[in-house]
Amino acid sequence: MKIRSDIIRMYRDIHSWVGIVCGLALFIAFYAGAITMFETPLQRWASPPPQFEQPTPLEKTPELVEKVLAKYPQAENRYEITLQTSPERPARMSWHTGPRGGGAHYFANLAADGSLQVTSESPSAVAQLVDDLHRQVGLPFEHEISDPIMGTVSLLYFIALVSGVIVLLPTLVKDLFILRIGKNLKRLWLDFHNALGLFSLPFHIVMSLTAVVFAFHHQFYDAQSAALASGERPPAETHAEMGHTGDTLSPVAIVDRLKEQSPEFRPAYLQYHYEEDHGLELRVAGVNPRHGMRGSTVGFAGVDPYSGELTMTGYMPGEQSGWFATITSFFALHFGNFGGSPVRWGYFFLGLAGAVLFYTGNLLWIESHRKKRRKGYEHREVKQTGASSVLGALTVGVSLGCVAGISLTVAAAKFLPQWVGDPAGWHFGIYYAVFLLATAWAFIRGAATGAVELLYASAAATLAIPSASLVSALVPELGWNHGGSTYLVDLAAVVGALALVVLARKTAERIRSAPAESIWFAGRVEQGASESVDRAGASSPA
Amino acid sequence: MSTRKLTSRNWFGKASAGAIPGFLLSLALCGVFARFGPGEVGFFSPQAQFTMWLMAPLWACILSFCFLFQTGARAWLWLGGASIVLWGLLYASGPLMA
Repeated sequence: MKIRSDIIRMYRDIHSWVGIVCGLALFIAFYAGAITMFETPLQRWASPPPQFEQPTPLEKTPELVEKVLAKYPQAENRYEITLQTSPERPARMSWHTGPRGGGAHYFANLAADGSLQVTSESPSAVAQLVDDLHRQVGLPFEHEISDPIMGTVSLLYFIALVSGVIVLLPTLVKDLFILRIGKNLKRLWLDFHNALGLFSLPFHIVMSLTAVVFAFHHQFYDAQSAALASGERPPAETHAEMGHTGDTLSPVAIVDRLKEQSPEFRPAYLQYHYEEDHGLELRVAGVNPRHGMRGSTVGFAGVDPYSGELTMTGYMPGEQSGWFATITSFFALHFGNFGGSPVRWGYFFLGLAGAVLFYTGNLLWIESHRKKRRKGYEHREVKQTGASSVLGALTVGVSLGCVAGISLTVAAAKFLPQWVGDPAGWHFGIYYAVFLLATAWAFIRGAATGAVELLYASAAATLAIPSASLVSALVPELGWNHGGSTYLVDLAAVVGALALVVLARKTAERIRSAPAESIWFAGRVEQGASESVDRAGASSPA
Repeated sequence: MSTRKLTSRNWFGKASAGAIPGFLLSLALCGVFARFGPGEVGFFSPQAQFTMWLMAPLWACILSFCFLFQTGARAWLWLGGASIVLWGLLYASGPLMA
């Protein structure tokens, strides 16, 4: 395809600048996002075994609710009944003291003798931390500040996709299936970057556009209703009818009624919500394996708590109208929650590939801004620009700091609850301490040496995850192992650590053969001998 | 009309046009979709959610292609002009603002 050369040149400039501005934030978002594809197994891996020896039988839930509400009346406004308890949802009934999921989180159960047991020890917060890193591109701010930054990064990311494709178009047919492995490292990185970007382009377009909406939906809604709404509002949303005086159905009866109305829907937990003006409302969260979902792991059904009738199926997988199913498809395409495990694994690898795309993008920038020793000018000193070494150190430090930080804070999950009072705060602290330390290290040691050392450090941090499981297996008082899908976490960490070791060895090889003037040069060739160093820089000094 | 070569040097004028009149134009296009198409605005129906979702591809595409204008001034004029036309159309065809 022919495109005017000035257009190509302009978009190449745009591509490198937006890439530089948002590449590192996107690396964190994609790496953490890939991990959130296995949020549920990760949270189970990281959460202590439930404190209650036996979950309250589901049939006895009404008795449990009655006893909790008598003792903790503030729970009445909003509480949840979990149908199948597990380490990450450790009790039959739970509630928050603050509005909308804020404040302390309480869990309640009935002992075998019918007495009430209540605890506020929560499941692990580490999966939430990884999710926050993903949603806030690694920034530790309140979401009011992080969201607009994330949204801007997503818009720039879309511009980077468009400009990257435009730059690639003229040589697309020639370049697409080619990977030139040879002396020209820049060519190799470029072929790799292009192939990765083009083959995962639909995934990237979906991610960037959905992320723009996730960040800016308030602003979009506000702007549209302020500027476009014509005044004629339909009647307010239909709430469950007021004035119910009869008894609510028990959870068992609710589950039975749901099964009659939507046999393929598998309810997971019941969310009760009471407010003066609309009475008691019930929302049932659950999955339907044949449909994508509005939430990241569940969809929602509105149910009449007195009759068990479905009242709102707009967010209920399998029971949606065309419009609602369309909206849900946008969410499902971002969350990868359709099609079961194969799609989750696909998204996991696409997410990691995305992180690699941004990493190679930064490397390309450095390679193409590298000043080279030219024939006939061997006596001239070649000095790399400050920008190159800063970006090199930032790329290495931020990326590997994110990898090592996530690994280490996940590994700590099995020990923190016994040792400290505020595990969530410690998870946050460990991640950012490692992240900042790694970034500082990359600056102190330079991109080249720093990369090798930080890759080994990341491998060690990642290996700490299965080690924590191993220690817990040997010394059961220290930690725990839940078996099942949680071994996946350990297995993935072992494979990840091995991959990091391979990368460390490759990088070490690379910096040994780097030209002396490159930022990848680690100083093996003695200084003062540079006049006789050949282009490859591999020969011994004179 | 002379076709000068495009360059990334005058990016700020073009990008700001994509961001500001580009946003207003996206909003107006959503308004056209709500006024003359099946969309809705102003409450939480799926049609209104769809209209909100439209903002992302529209605005992102305008921001990506606004660099094809020769200069920042032209970008402002075209995107601003298109906004005025569409907003005028919306205004003429019924009440705006709640």
